[in-house]
Amino acid sequence: MRLKKYLTLTRAGMIEALQFRLGTVVIVIGNLLYLTVVYFLWKAIYASSGTDVVNGMTFSDTLIYLVLATALFNFMEMYAVWEMGRSIQSGKIVLDLLKPMDYRRLLFWSYSGSFVMNFLTTFLPTFIIVGAVTHGAIPLRLNLLYFAVSVIMAVMINYSIDFFVGTICLFTESIWGINIMKQVVVLLLSGATIPIAFFPEPLKTVVMYMPFQSIYNAPLTLLLDGSPDIEDVLMILGTQLFWCITTTVISKLFWKVSLRQITVNGG
Amino acid sequence: MSKIIEIRNVTKEFKVLNRREGLKGSLKDLFSRDYKIVKAVNDISMDIEQGEIVGYLGPNGAGKSTTIKMMTGVLEPTAGEILVNGNAPYKNRSRNAQEIGVVFGQRSQLWWALPLVESFKLLKDIYQIDDKQYNSMLDLYRSLVDIEPLLHKPVRQMSLGQRTLSDILAAFLHDPKIVFLDEPTIGLDVSMKAKIRTLIHALNKEKNTTVILTTHDMGDVDALCRRIVIIDKGRMLYDNDIEHLKGFFGSYRTLKIRIDGDMKEKAEKIHSELPQFSVDSDDEWISVLVDEDKEKVIDVLAGLQKKHDIRDMQLEEISTEEVIKKIYEEGVE
Amino acid sequence: MKRKGFGFYFRIYCKILAQDLKSKMSYRADFIISTIGMICTNIAGFISFWILFRSFPSINGWSYHEMLFLYGFSLVSLTPVQCFFDNNWSLRINVYNGDFIKYCFRPINLFFYYQSEVFDIKGLGQLAFGLGTLIYSWTKIGLALTPLMVLKMILFLLTSSLIMIALQNAAAATCFWIQNSFYVLDLVLKFKDYAKYPITIFSPVFRFIFTFIMPIAFIAYYPSLVILRPDEVPVLSWLSPLIGCVFFWLSYKFWMFGATKYSGTGS
Repeated sequence: MRLKKYLTLTRAGMIEALQFRLGTVVIVIGNLLYLTVVYFLWKAIYASSGTDVVNGMTFSDTLIYLVLATALFNFMEMYAVWEMGRSIQSGKIVLDLLKPMDYRRLLFWSYSGSFVMNFLTTFLPTFIIVGAVTHGAIPLRLNLLYFAVSVIMAVMINYSIDFFVGTICLFTESIWGINIMKQVVVLLLSGATIPIAFFPEPLKTVVMYMPFQSIYNAPLTLLLDGSPDIEDVLMILGTQLFWCITTTVISKLFWKVSLRQITVNGG
Repeated sequence: MSKIIEIRNVTKEFKVLNRREGLKGSLKDLFSRDYKIVKAVNDISMDIEQGEIVGYLGPNGAGKSTTIKMMTGVLEPTAGEILVNGNAPYKNRSRNAQEIGVVFGQRSQLWWALPLVESFKLLKDIYQIDDKQYNSMLDLYRSLVDIEPLLHKPVRQMSLGQRTLSDILAAFLHDPKIVFLDEPTIGLDVSMKAKIRTLIHALNKEKNTTVILTTHDMGDVDALCRRIVIIDKGRMLYDNDIEHLKGFFGSYRTLKIRIDGDMKEKAEKIHSELPQFSVDSDDEWISVLVDEDKEKVIDVLAGLQKKHDIRDMQLEEISTEEVIKKIYEEGVE
Repeated sequence: MKRKGFGFYFRIYCKILAQDLKSKMSYRADFIISTIGMICTNIAGFISFWILFRSFPSINGWSYHEMLFLYGFSLVSLTPVQCFFDNNWSLRINVYNGDFIKYCFRPINLFFYYQSEVFDIKGLGQLAFGLGTLIYSWTKIGLALTPLMVLKMILFLLTSSLIMIALQNAAAATCFWIQNSFYVLDLVLKFKDYAKYPITIFSPVFRFIFTFIMPIAFIAYYPSLVILRPDEVPVLSWLSPLIGCVFFWLSYKFWMFGATKYSGTGS
């Protein structure tokens, strides 16, 4: 019964996602465009490097990684910061706070519909196409299971970071500034735009200690490695789990504390 | 008196998308869409004289804002002709805009972050108002309302009432020939409503500005308009003096009674006893609108007294509000 | 009534701008955070650029500094669209909630009136980054600094700006027809990221597409050739100022057409 009220939100989100017919077409065009640019750019880079393997990745490794990273991005990105910022500014948040549901959960489940839609419309087709085009460059073994687990945690980490940043909007009117900062930092440091393998050594080490790489780098590394050491897998998943719990707790706490602060001060 | 607005057999049609319901419907919408044609305004004609205040009434979705958009040049009629100040507004929106002012009760057209006086100065440049006229207008405003505290306040910090007031002043600033007021008193408290009505009345008298007023508040109509135009579903229902309108319903009286107990419940009960009359209730009174051609008020009262313990009663002539309501419900026949 | 020429509009814009800046000063926190966000975006851009190209002396015949020049060129040429046409981003929301109608009743050009409402000062930060990059790479490449070169530079920077403005106008105007035009605008925003790569890295088919169908190559590549490769300037580079003007005019007409069409619907 409890789940049902959340599933209602999921369904509404799915209907809404379908309404944006042209939106969907444009997203697909945008992704194709991005991938085209990425393809030729990396082709040029590999051509000028003179070797087939750069930083331990072949051209097709890099490409598969980036294509799937894009697909993951489309699947996970939910513009929660915008949504929160806007409803805080317009005062709509008051209505949401009155609903008999925790706001953090309400927002997440409202998005879950588009998660499902995006998974079906962007990630899955991309995955199948990439798999077919590269003739099995993506291993289809136990790694799929690791990947699935990893993605779920990635979604949660991503959402927690978003929610944390969105909470900052309670204190400032600058939604744009906050959102753009979060976006560029996450995209760069998570390995969504450039595989972390390409980062220079000290930067790579620093990035590995941050939560961001758990969002894109971790699931994709698990997916692309067909015969990994079980230790490596556990290490990656363990790190993710750690960040998942940490970011969730921090974002929840921050929201609670901020909300109290705001209601006391009559924000 | 000269005609400032002439509307001849104007019709406006829109193409509207039919959305299907539910998840399956949305899926279908992805592949095929079906449209239908809606007549928002259907064959309307009227003339408005310079200096008139006309109440333009109708239920939501009646076609009021479409008509206004056509008069302001934002929209071109599908058929028919509109002349504002002798010109077709949509053919030269800019020139027409110079002669009109527009106020939306809920949407301020002023610069949100600027103090009112800076908005005025920008408007002065945009409308190319010369210094003399600008100053005399400000003097006039000062004599009508207490604007000093407003002038240096950013619009975003104003209360709704102050904002509406400011918007009205801004709309009259370039001394337009016509001002369109769309629900100017919506959401305001009683004293602010009165203040705004007085202001509109004074500006109309002072500048002989034509005012077209759309509203759902009959208080606005009673305070300002001699003439009203009513449309519904795109068709014109009525265009004449407000007094003349009441004449249609001359045989109607409102019988107000007070009974102990829950007013709403009682009102429903009374309505079931007197299905031929409309019954309303507020905190104090239950009102029965009695058509004396059908039954004398006295008889109705006597009938009611037998069944209910009536504490108090009043008899009133029909109010504008009730007249309009009757027209929305059953038209003018 | 006096005629409303360029002088009239220029005066009004200056006045609105002055007032706007004054009121912006009252939102200090927002201003600071947005500026930091802008700086972050630029720094992240540079880091990505550096990570990608640091180990390759040249890509597809383009030296590191030439690539950097293109990058700087695209940043500078994007400044006007950021500064003066930022209200395009709110167009969708204004249209959606019906507020757009309020712009329709002034006796001045609707497009001008709408765009004049917002001056985005953040763009100036981007301008500083871009100019710095341009000057740095200019000296590194060893380009001559003659008045003619500077004049050409300005002319072609303006050209690029016009094309980007045109693209953004057209993208924003789609909201008069489709529900979620955010994606279209976002797509066009991505163009600017791709504009910084030389078009020669693409295959002929995509060179054609990026020149004639999605004119990304006009945002930086063709105009900058006039400076970078003065010996082999293609006709399209010389034509780009004209193309810029035509594009801008077309996008303006499209925008206005949408605006008149829209005002009819909704209430």
